[in-house]
Amino acid sequence: MVDLPQKKVGIVACSGEERAEGTVTRLAALQVLEQLRAQDTVTICLPLFLAGGEGDRAFARFYPTIAIDGCDRRCAAKATEMYSGKPAASVVVADLLRERSIGTAHRLNEAGRQAVDWTAEHTARLVDELLDRRWDRRAGEFFDEHKTTEAAEPIEATCACGSGIPVQMVEIAGQRVTLIALPVIFRQFHGVGRLPSDQVTRELLDMVKIYNVVPAEQEADYLAMLEQEYAAYCAKVTT
Amino acid sequence: MTNDHRIVIVPCSGIGKTYGSVSREAAYVATEDLRPAETQLVALSLLVLGDEQARAEVADNVSITIDGCQLACASKMVKESGGTIAKNYAVLEVYRRHRQFKPQGIGELNAGGQQLAQALAEEIAQEIDALTLAEQTGGQHG
Repeated sequence: MVDLPQKKVGIVACSGEERAEGTVTRLAALQVLEQLRAQDTVTICLPLFLAGGEGDRAFARFYPTIAIDGCDRRCAAKATEMYSGKPAASVVVADLLRERSIGTAHRLNEAGRQAVDWTAEHTARLVDELLDRRWDRRAGEFFDEHKTTEAAEPIEATCACGSGIPVQMVEIAGQRVTLIALPVIFRQFHGVGRLPSDQVTRELLDMVKIYNVVPAEQEADYLAMLEQEYAAYCAKVTT
Repeated sequence: MTNDHRIVIVPCSGIGKTYGSVSREAAYVATEDLRPAETQLVALSLLVLGDEQARAEVADNVSITIDGCQLACASKMVKESGGTIAKNYAVLEVYRRHRQFKPQGIGELNAGGQQLAQALAEEIAQEIDALTLAEQTGGQHG
């Protein structure tokens, strides 16, 4: 069985440069990522949903994501939903503030630093809640809790700076299709010594279906593509 | 620059690398400390969302962008928003000019990061002065 790394939660902060609350989102996200839940979280820069590639735009479908916004314009939550996938949870700093004067975007005062701590702790609790639930990467939403389908674990964590979710463009029945996680699936199958065969091709399809929508009527086309692409991959890495 | 036409400063929102923090810090130093009357900070997240006011500010003024990595999100989003980039700064290139200031830290920049941000902000201030002079004399800059 292919060994996929543990499930993680995505964190997307608005980082709004012109408001103190934006600075709070950035520092709170960093506190969660670096200290409170370092092993359980990954992040991405919000602009990469537009400026990046398909792998970046797959972020919120791949990871259950918490959007942290400074104000009720909710740039992080809305842009994440528009360009990637609906956030699993959302935090608005302005709603959490007990003290209205938190300093400036450049220099938070003591109340601002406390707001960072509250926001980070609140977000960490949300991370824990999300880790207890099962995320469907095909649908970009939680599994129905009553379903018994085996949940997939996410692939190796990726970072904020454009490495994104590994994707591969393939041709299926004359159409160009972007498949999430295909490179890492190939790498991991090859890494455990699985050589191209009909059985392996079917297992590859099962794995691809965890991360992507595969129309039932196109399964034969996907199998043909996977057979060809995996053979090419194996030939490439062994030369 | 007139009050109607201020130079827009757009730093990247980089959250994963120290250069993103340098970008943000330099933007604050330039807009708050060095040239507050001539500049205006525009949040990248608003451009990502397509906020009309932010897009209009970028479209109606020239911009200086500061990018923390080669993905150049700030520059791309300004262009995407119909803006004109008078000058782009890549923090890595600035660091190559000021190697004595080695930045570290993301949430909290070390002294080297602060000094690099100050050096970058001073370069930006010089560019702002040149753009302002060009506008006052009706000449072309660049």
